[in-house]
Amino acid sequence: MKKIHILHLYPNELNTYGDHGNRLAVMKRLAWHGYEPDVHYHHPGNNLPRAVDLVIGGGGQDSAQEDVQLDILRIGDSLRHFAEAGVPMLTICGTYQLFGHRFVTHRGQEVKGISVFDMETIGGDRRMIGNVMIRTEFGVLFGFENHSGQTFLGEKQVPLGKVLRGNGNNGRDKTEGARALNVFGTYLHGPVLPNNPAFCDGLIRLAVTNRFGEFEPKKIDDALAEAARAAARRRQY
Amino acid sequence: MRNFLGSLTGKIVRLLLSYRRAGGHALPGLIIERLFPDYVGSMLAQLPEGYVIVTGTNGKTTTTKIITHLLKANGKKVLTNPTGSNLIRGIASSLAWRADHFGRLKYDIAVLEVDEATARLLVGLIKPRWVLALNVSRDQLDRYGEVDTIASLIGVAMGAATEGVVTNSRDPYLVKQAEKIKKPVIFFAAAPRLANFFPNDYQLAAVDPSEKKTATKSQIPDVELTRFNGQKVEYTMGGKKLSTTLKLSGQHNFLNAAAALALCRRLLADAGPEDLLHELSNVSLAFGRGEKYRLKNGAEVELVLVKNPASFSQALLSYGSIKTQLMIAINDKLADGRDVSWLWDVDFSSLKGSVLAVSGTRAADMALRLSYDGIETREIEPRPREALRILSHSPGRKIILSTYTAMLQLYSYLAKNAEKLP
Repeated sequence: MKKIHILHLYPNELNTYGDHGNRLAVMKRLAWHGYEPDVHYHHPGNNLPRAVDLVIGGGGQDSAQEDVQLDILRIGDSLRHFAEAGVPMLTICGTYQLFGHRFVTHRGQEVKGISVFDMETIGGDRRMIGNVMIRTEFGVLFGFENHSGQTFLGEKQVPLGKVLRGNGNNGRDKTEGARALNVFGTYLHGPVLPNNPAFCDGLIRLAVTNRFGEFEPKKIDDALAEAARAAARRRQY
Repeated sequence: MRNFLGSLTGKIVRLLLSYRRAGGHALPGLIIERLFPDYVGSMLAQLPEGYVIVTGTNGKTTTTKIITHLLKANGKKVLTNPTGSNLIRGIASSLAWRADHFGRLKYDIAVLEVDEATARLLVGLIKPRWVLALNVSRDQLDRYGEVDTIASLIGVAMGAATEGVVTNSRDPYLVKQAEKIKKPVIFFAAAPRLANFFPNDYQLAAVDPSEKKTATKSQIPDVELTRFNGQKVEYTMGGKKLSTTLKLSGQHNFLNAAAALALCRRLLADAGPEDLLHELSNVSLAFGRGEKYRLKNGAEVELVLVKNPASFSQALLSYGSIKTQLMIAINDKLADGRDVSWLWDVDFSSLKGSVLAVSGTRAADMALRLSYDGIETREIEPRPREALRILSHSPGRKIILSTYTAMLQLYSYLAKNAEKLP
């Protein structure tokens, strides 16, 4: 079977909000589409594998973020190299923040990021918590946000989507997440991929097309995801 | 004077409420809190043997019941707060109600069950003798923020204890907090070979077994759960191996009992390990959780509270493998946790076959989660009462795993439409 190599960044450090669900969604849907997922877990201090088709990274606590920061700076060049080669990546919350230029914690500490996204995050004193709905190129995405960091995109940095409900990046400019090349960042938990199969399949399409030149999706019964999305649409912030 | 007036206020408000059948428990406390901000501290200061705090993410209620039972069996007059009223105002209500007409508390000691945030506030009012911290795991992060934040709240409470701290030597968050404490720290734990039955937060969330870290503490636990089989349990207490058969069920309660034993060994200097264990075997828990009902068609239904990955995983370990029919009810109200992402931190692949019904405001999310572990859901019925009707269509024993507010909805229906079993 055709193998797709998934790289999961810091699964033991950044996993606070059901982030394993994103990996599970990628693996199951790859299998349902007829591909064999092969997951590599990256822990601090380890070397990166050569073959990488799709990267995922989750959210974590501030303390964990400080722990992995040194490591992500160490592998930053390799990650940027993968990004420039068009490798799709999904970065959530804590990992998303580390993919910007910097994160300034609420204690005033500056944590340097790897600048895949042109953005910076400032730790705020108010947590933005609630159900979110955004409009993106993958259709409407539903999720749950829970962050105090306020992320501000650079002038030319495109967001992942426009906020229809909730706060998004900073609660002010109606942007949510970011996209650079095929790298996506977002604050959405839920987890985001099982609840938004079109987004998951979009990442899979990029990964498979990079590796094999084409992607022929199989028909997947997403009735349960549709039911969950219909309920999410009716929900309040 | 404050004690007298505060208690009187509480009693009057509660009486007024009970006449109106409003049933509110917190309102008297809320009013006392406003009128007499020092009330709780000053009332607890009367107790000749002070008070102890039981806190942590899971198991507070059961552990408090066990401690109370053991203390009473040893002749102590014990004051405790009823389940659910574990905010300061709930405690104020309880104190007012238990006080005599002069605002005096005729008790020896209080055992108070409080959540992490309240524990910090309570120790600011009056210092506890001991703080028992059971465990910390991700729970309602939408309310409390991060696990580190929750752990540090417990750390503050620990720091205020005048005699010492009792905690789980296998919980890395708590061990880290306890290391900062200058008073004695007493540990309880499950034996290392039982570790798979009691995963801590880190292990629940970690992916790579080779990378799993545990709190490697060299301290020998004062009370260790070393073996269990059915209701038969073995503890090592102060170096002595002792076994007994418990009325309590659920392996998590065997560990809660170890915590209670460790604390009671400090509070009851005269009681020997054998005496404590004998009393433990008499503890039975007749309260809101794990209640059983018989539906009109004769089917037995047992309700089990799930509120975070740790308690859900424990419930699946306890009930998932036996031949039962399962219903799962997930709500996303504030008391349940509004973000249901945590359902994806629970491994459902141990369930065999299908789930009879999912219910609650997040029924569809639950069915979606199950489908990714290959578990089929027969019916999706967001309304708990309707879902119970589905259960009553088939005979046999059934377990309902439910979040807090969904459980309250189920109880109100079962109370009217089913027979409560002992």
